[in-house]
Amino acid sequence: MSAALDADEQPHRNGNPIRSFLRSAYSAPILPRAAKKPSSLIYSADDRPGIVVALSNGVQHVGLISINLVYPLLICRAVDAPISLVANLLSLGMIVLCIGTLIQVLRLGPVGSGYMLPSTFTASYFAPGLIAARIGGLPLVFGMTIFAGALETLVAPMLNRLRKYLPVEVSGLVIFMLGIAAGLAGLRTLLGPAATPVGSAEWLVAAMTLGTMTALNVWAKGLARMLCALIGLTVGYAAAAAAGLLNPALWALVAQADWLGIPHFDHISWSFNATLVAPFAIASLAAAMKAAGTLTICEKMNDASWVRPDMRSITRGVLSDGLATIIAGLMGTAGGVNTSTPSAGLAAATGVASRNIAIVAAAIFFLLGFCPKLTALLAIMPRAVVVSALMYAVTFIMINGLQVMMSRMLDARRTFVLGLGILGGLAMEVFPQSVNLMPREIAAVAGSSLVASTAIALLLNLVFRIGVRKTATLGMAREQIDPQKIENFFSEQGKAWGARQDVTNRASFGVIQLVEAVAETCWKTGTMIVRASFDEFNMEIAVTYAGEQIEFPKERPSLEEIRDREDGTRLLAGFMLRRNADRVRSTVTDGQCTVHFDYDH
Amino acid sequence: MDLIETNDGKITVVEPRGRIDSATAKEFGERLSRLLNAGRNQLVIDLHNITYISSAGFRQLLIAKRSMQDRDGKLALCGVSGEVKRLFDIGAFGELLPIYPTREAGVASVQ
Repeated sequence: MSAALDADEQPHRNGNPIRSFLRSAYSAPILPRAAKKPSSLIYSADDRPGIVVALSNGVQHVGLISINLVYPLLICRAVDAPISLVANLLSLGMIVLCIGTLIQVLRLGPVGSGYMLPSTFTASYFAPGLIAARIGGLPLVFGMTIFAGALETLVAPMLNRLRKYLPVEVSGLVIFMLGIAAGLAGLRTLLGPAATPVGSAEWLVAAMTLGTMTALNVWAKGLARMLCALIGLTVGYAAAAAAGLLNPALWALVAQADWLGIPHFDHISWSFNATLVAPFAIASLAAAMKAAGTLTICEKMNDASWVRPDMRSITRGVLSDGLATIIAGLMGTAGGVNTSTPSAGLAAATGVASRNIAIVAAAIFFLLGFCPKLTALLAIMPRAVVVSALMYAVTFIMINGLQVMMSRMLDARRTFVLGLGILGGLAMEVFPQSVNLMPREIAAVAGSSLVASTAIALLLNLVFRIGVRKTATLGMAREQIDPQKIENFFSEQGKAWGARQDVTNRASFGVIQLVEAVAETCWKTGTMIVRASFDEFNMEIAVTYAGEQIEFPKERPSLEEIRDREDGTRLLAGFMLRRNADRVRSTVTDGQCTVHFDYDH
Repeated sequence: MDLIETNDGKITVVEPRGRIDSATAKEFGERLSRLLNAGRNQLVIDLHNITYISSAGFRQLLIAKRSMQDRDGKLALCGVSGEVKRLFDIGAFGELLPIYPTREAGVASVQ
């Protein structure tokens, strides 16, 4: 017998199919029954605030997300797309953000976490998107975006199992290098050999734009701080207009654009290039890992009794993230989308995490998608403003990557993985001519700093897994059960292996509680063998005894069951053991029962 | 497991020390039961000196809670922290048992 951790999906039996759909997609609670609302949270994901709260918070989230429109904008600039086309792409982009937000917040079939997580364009696809734009124009960007989204949907159910190959510190490295690659790509449009020389007026406008954004972020409070990027963009536009950097012909295009209009799909065609698989695959993995991290933040934010990530909810969330990126490619927007981490931060800061807010944000994006005048205004964004906005955005991405890397204890293995990975990536930026040493077929993509650093890190991580797993065994006679001996065993092994204290405590409790639960009725005779093995990602415990299996209920037994049933204590123990471990299962072979506990490290 | 009882008027504070597991839970439950039978129905259980509590211990706490309800008495738990708090969390006992951050708050709640 093996106990599956995932609770069964209960179909809603309701006579009215529309009501049934709305219930499962929107109104059914998403938080676990045992979830405890944190005191800092005013509205949890399942709460329904009034219209004023929903509208004001929705506007704030849209303002926060709008800065990331610079990514599709810069990709369009890389192919010298005409302003009317850029404006149309941005309109479609707004509608993609609406759809992406809705499929994240509504629970449609196996898709959607239900958390308040609006979609945003992401830096993950920016550097690969620029390469695709240069090699095959916008059709290749769209086609490769669909590929990346499809890969993300495939990866979503496997995220937990891929941890060994994509450890946290390598995720941090990928995020860091995404920031570096995006920032340098933006700076090249100002300072690169092919760029028009930057005049003093442009430097001034760039300084005012970036200065406003950073000053408001550092010193302002409340709404001014929340909307600092949007205010910075407005100041940048005003300064550029005053300095004569906005071409009157471009202004005329904005003036001619209608206030209301339906975006068209005339520009859409798709192409695929196998040599771009690597950078888009890496970007897709980075997007999946980032989405998983943001969903974990939402889970913690909504539940004061949060113990560990709910992989079912995370899988649903990452699936919808990948699906939104597929839709972005299909609808012809220049770049993929991702869950908005700053929005999760804003929800934590305001205490408003109701999914109604995301629905309001989606509605605003939808309306903006039908306002060609606004997207035309964004499309003519001066070079000095757009690069400043990019600098502002990538600063957070790079620091986020550094924080993720430093969250792990950096031993000799990880030091080499990260150090050599960063150095290899930077070498591609500083010595671009080194790609001449590579075969022509892969030079275009292997010369990317992101691909180079990720490939080096993944390869070294694989090599350094040699000799990582360690094992220890403890034997215990039925007549000599000693909890202290088990505690000492785990304490000593935990220290010797460098395991985290909380994981060691959980493993120790798991075995002591199991021994206690099976000792009276399940464990018949002989010696119990506790085999503990550890690598940096997992502590695996196998407890073998001669006797019967213990049950691991998904739901906590009722008070009456615990009190009145003969096996009430054992049922409760099984429930606690299930919640204590990341995975638990039991098997019986020739009268020998083995209980396997897995603890993620 | 040691158990210290302090009476302050009608209120009794019980402070178990050490481990509450299958070896000690029965004795712990019997001590609580004796207090209830003696009419001490304003009870605070201070767990700050507990190093470990298993399902057997939780069962005794849940039985005490139900017995107290049947007698229109009041029960409060306090001193739940660290690893013991984690065990309360994984069993989601916070919704079944009244837990207070300090002994003073627990005492105030049963007055």
